[in-house]
Amino acid sequence: MNQPRDFSDEHLNAFVDNQLGVQECDEILAAIASDADLGQRLCALRSAKELVRHAYGNVPPARHRLDRRLPVWCGALAASITLVVGVLAGWLGHQATATAEAPGAATSWAGRVFAAEPGRILIHLDSSRSEQMDAALDLAEAYLAKASDARIEIIANHRGLELLRVDTTPYAARIAGLKAQHARVGFVACGQTIARLQGVGVDVELVPETTVARTAIEHVAERVQQGWTYLKI
Amino acid sequence: MKWLQSREQRELVEQIKDSRLRLYRLAFAWCHDAGLADDLAQETLTRGLSRLDQLRDSARLMGWLFAILNRCWIDHLRGRREDFDDELLAELPSDLPGPDSHVERQETVSRVRTAIAALPLGQRQVVTLIDLEDFSYAEVAEILTIPIGTVMSRLCRARASLKELLLEPPVAQRHLRSVK
Repeated sequence: MNQPRDFSDEHLNAFVDNQLGVQECDEILAAIASDADLGQRLCALRSAKELVRHAYGNVPPARHRLDRRLPVWCGALAASITLVVGVLAGWLGHQATATAEAPGAATSWAGRVFAAEPGRILIHLDSSRSEQMDAALDLAEAYLAKASDARIEIIANHRGLELLRVDTTPYAARIAGLKAQHARVGFVACGQTIARLQGVGVDVELVPETTVARTAIEHVAERVQQGWTYLKI
Repeated sequence: MKWLQSREQRELVEQIKDSRLRLYRLAFAWCHDAGLADDLAQETLTRGLSRLDQLRDSARLMGWLFAILNRCWIDHLRGRREDFDDELLAELPSDLPGPDSHVERQETVSRVRTAIAALPLGQRQVVTLIDLEDFSYAEVAEILTIPIGTVMSRLCRARASLKELLLEPPVAQRHLRSVK
């Protein structure tokens, strides 16, 4: 009298992916004993899952692209400009970022851990477009004009490194001038980008004001950890 | 300085650094282009670091980062197609050649990657988030901002296609067998 229960593929997938409750699992396990087709369907789904895992167990090493930019950066630029405007407006209004939230407000976990401190700004440049190089330097100069004791760093990676390379930068004199006027301004190059360029035979000579970090991302992460305000140009 | 002493801070920064390979692997499974995958992972990390104040629970860091990866990926696709919309995303086929052009490549990894690449993008995202990252259906729904029922139906179609492409004999062979 007992007809084998017809489990849908969605249901069986949920079983394979451990998305079912104990009772539903028990029903399927009990049904397998008397339904060979069900066992085969589950086996096929499990095999498909394992094949996907296997196919991406070892992916090719990351290959950075030096010759083109993603359209994705355009959105980031727009977001960055908004952020820059917001930070400057806040600073000009003499409101520290960390005090902007009222006590008891629904602050985020990370916001509490990484409350940015005023006066330390990390500007991230990864493009060689002249308007973006300009924007990075303009921002540093504008901030230092208002707060000469602020600490500002410009971190450059990918094509943004062209700002700091002797043979590509249009702003060597401007960088030297900024550094001469403000000892606390820093220019940081991504060591990974340098290594990649050297790997394809490019001779990388940096302007003398530059220091080198192991990777841009690690430097950004450390600065954020230290409470710096991070701005992506 | 007190911020250097925070275990929470150190752990979160380490987690973010460590997430790069996972982001890269998933991006590679979506686009099968090592250069683009690396750009997407990098952009995800930079966007994530600049928006840390939006992270509401440290335990959900990876889901949050994968949601950002999804947005980066969509922004990239939007940059390529003016008529792009979210509906198109679900059915957008791969840019890669289909499985037929790889028929002689019998090596398992290549065959599976080719089969994955042949899936519509929406299905590809769901199946890789579940199989490679072990996210629950509810988490995938949140990451991709789609209903959980859509997650289940896309997964179902994806696995059916993979099963047909990878686990079942070609139609011609099936026919021969049935004739015997």
